Amino acid sequence: MNNTPEITIKNVSMVYNDKGRDVTALSNVSLEIQKGEFISLLGPSGCGKTTLLRIIADLLQPTSGTVEVCGKSPREVRLEKKYGIVFQSPVLYDWRTVRKNICLPLELMKIDKAEQNNRVDALLEMIGLEKFQNHYPNQLSGGMQQRVGIARALAIQPEILLMDEPFSALDEFTREKLNEDLLRIWRKTNKTVIFVTHSIAESVFLSDRVCVLSPHPGRLSAVVDIDLPRPRTKEMRESPEFFNLVTKIRNSFEGV
Amino acid sequence: MKKNKATAALLWTAGVVLLWEGVAFFLANILHDKMANAKLPYLHSIIYTIAANFSEISNAALITVSKAATGFALGAAAGIMLAVIMSISKTAEKIAFPYLIISQMIPVLGLAPIIFNLVRNMDLSRIIIAAYLTFFPVAANMLGGLKSVEPEKRELMYSYAAKKRSVYIKLMLPFSLPYLMTGLKIAAPLSITASILVDMLGSKGGIGVKLLYSLYGGEKDIFWASVLVCAAIGMLSCFIIILAEKILIPWKKTSSGGEE
Amino acid sequence: MMKKKSDILWPLGFGAVFLIIWQLYGFHRLLDLKPFQLPVPSEIIMTIFKNLEKVSGDCLLTVTGAIAGMAIGSAIGFAVAVTATLFPKWGYGGLTVISAFNAIPIVALSPIMNRWFSTGMGQKIGVVTVVTMAAMAINAYRGLNDLKPFSLDLMSSYAADKRTVFFRLRLPSCLPSVFTALKINITSAMIAAIVSEYFAASTSGLGFGIKDSLRKAEMAMGWSYITVSAIVGIILYLIIQAVERRAIKWHASQK
Repeated sequence: MNNTPEITIKNVSMVYNDKGRDVTALSNVSLEIQKGEFISLLGPSGCGKTTLLRIIADLLQPTSGTVEVCGKSPREVRLEKKYGIVFQSPVLYDWRTVRKNICLPLELMKIDKAEQNNRVDALLEMIGLEKFQNHYPNQLSGGMQQRVGIARALAIQPEILLMDEPFSALDEFTREKLNEDLLRIWRKTNKTVIFVTHSIAESVFLSDRVCVLSPHPGRLSAVVDIDLPRPRTKEMRESPEFFNLVTKIRNSFEGV
Repeated sequence: MKKNKATAALLWTAGVVLLWEGVAFFLANILHDKMANAKLPYLHSIIYTIAANFSEISNAALITVSKAATGFALGAAAGIMLAVIMSISKTAEKIAFPYLIISQMIPVLGLAPIIFNLVRNMDLSRIIIAAYLTFFPVAANMLGGLKSVEPEKRELMYSYAAKKRSVYIKLMLPFSLPYLMTGLKIAAPLSITASILVDMLGSKGGIGVKLLYSLYGGEKDIFWASVLVCAAIGMLSCFIIILAEKILIPWKKTSSGGEE
Repeated sequence: MMKKKSDILWPLGFGAVFLIIWQLYGFHRLLDLKPFQLPVPSEIIMTIFKNLEKVSGDCLLTVTGAIAGMAIGSAIGFAVAVTATLFPKWGYGGLTVISAFNAIPIVALSPIMNRWFSTGMGQKIGVVTVVTMAAMAINAYRGLNDLKPFSLDLMSSYAADKRTVFFRLRLPSCLPSVFTALKINITSAMIAAIVSEYFAASTSGLGFGIKDSLRKAEMAMGWSYITVSAIVGIILYLIIQAVERRAIKWHASQK
């Protein structure tokens, strides 16, 4: 692993005003993320994990502290279109077919038609929805919709994939299946992934490192290295090492 | 299920026709109402009158409809424009929004004779009144659509650093289309009503003029024929919008496609 | 609080500027109108007060007709919605037929009602009834049938019969839609009542007043009628809104 971090988060705090009362959503968070790393932000609701992700994505400005991505501000990185974001809900445009939804960012970047088609074809194959490319989002199941959302995020060939609880609305079976799909895609594309979740098992299964955040005020309370070998398989979910890590992370909450 | 609904609607229509004929028969032959023919003539005789005077009646209707359509198009365009401006500029929204709300509370059609009196040109006032009746519901519904775009959908555009123009073309406008269609559905019969009203206020050559002349001139057959044609074009205008909606908004169909 | 203030000041300021331009004959110059063609606001207000008795008498008449017709029309519309809910197989088709009534121009209805009813009031009520039926039928049907997910299942888990489901679940959950319909209907009732008076045999009411003053070229009087009908429209709407606020405090739209 390279030693100069790709993303450097330094003393980031976020305070917002709720009905005249100051609420600290994030307090003094510092973190370094390496290139190509799969990192999870884990915690209960109200711990500021989504806030942190949104600050990195330039969807929110921190009250204090800095975020640097390869020496640049989040805004510059956004304008260079190096972020691929997957939201909690798939956020597909209802009036566009699956194919056109994946194509949307490419149209905005004015990439030429042939290249657009090549990329979309490859992505459709990657998510296994070639047969549904001319369906509208309303005609797909929730899991399929979220796969389209991931493909759309990958379409601009971003350097960093930001995922905000992308599978939290799905059932356990679909979620585990998509976890595996995501790892397969990640291995192929080798992006840096920042993954927000409130499922301990999901974060252990996916990540290189799990950042545990605690609420009131939101802060980084532990960073746990996940040294399970890659590629990760379904069977690993049953291994003692997996359970040990889950327990370790769960215990890091107990002290809160 | 869909077929079932269609048959039910068809049977209902047949029922209404039968009821009409029945009441007409009742008035004429059982109550022996001398005014029976004026109060409710047989439906088939009205249709016969329309067929017999088809070119005359359809020409009159065409004049009314074409002016209504012009006004409708202008009013809809202005309504869409105002809604877009209001969604871009907070100040414009603050100024215009209360008036849009109030416009839904006041009987705007009451102004029609005044406008007719000011303009003094029947074709122009037909267009103006149809346009301004169309304007309010279209602007209000379109704005409603533009304002209900989910924040995540906008954030997606923001994350791609999309230009304002692209945001409107690729997101705001298509998203608001169903809302716009609702507004148009309300406005279409209104614009027809407006056009007929101006006919009746003293124009030449529209279906409303036929209606008014026959009403006072005692041509019962033509009167009822005109009324039926008015009702028909009103419903037709609504039907056209519904059809356009079906074509323009294919994603609304909730046919189940994929299960994993 | 500051934000609230500017929310009111902007439109108010705009309205004031509009009235001042009108008062100073700005629109007359712009549209090349003579003063007698378009009376200025001060003249309109003076005329209202000078003819207060006549105007308010006409107004009362129109409002009575509008409200009576709206009550009958809404009741019929609601009955249709209930029937369509209880007998879904055939009832829904009836709803489609009723909603077609929505598209019939009022101006075509008025002369028919003229023939059926000998009095101006009867004719007015007749027109308003037909015009207000559809909106209530459609909205009430929506309210009676678009129930919160699982609420029907909950009812059947209590082994509730059709009657209980109707009174405990459907009826309360259709209230918001009923108020939506009433708000649509109050405006269309006023419009229908006024327009029906344009063509009525009667010689009173706001609609007749507007038409008659214009015929006699008393523009200021015509504008007074318009102004009063607008104010009455707003007041009636606000009354329904106030009742709505009390009746359905639990609904999300009232927060």
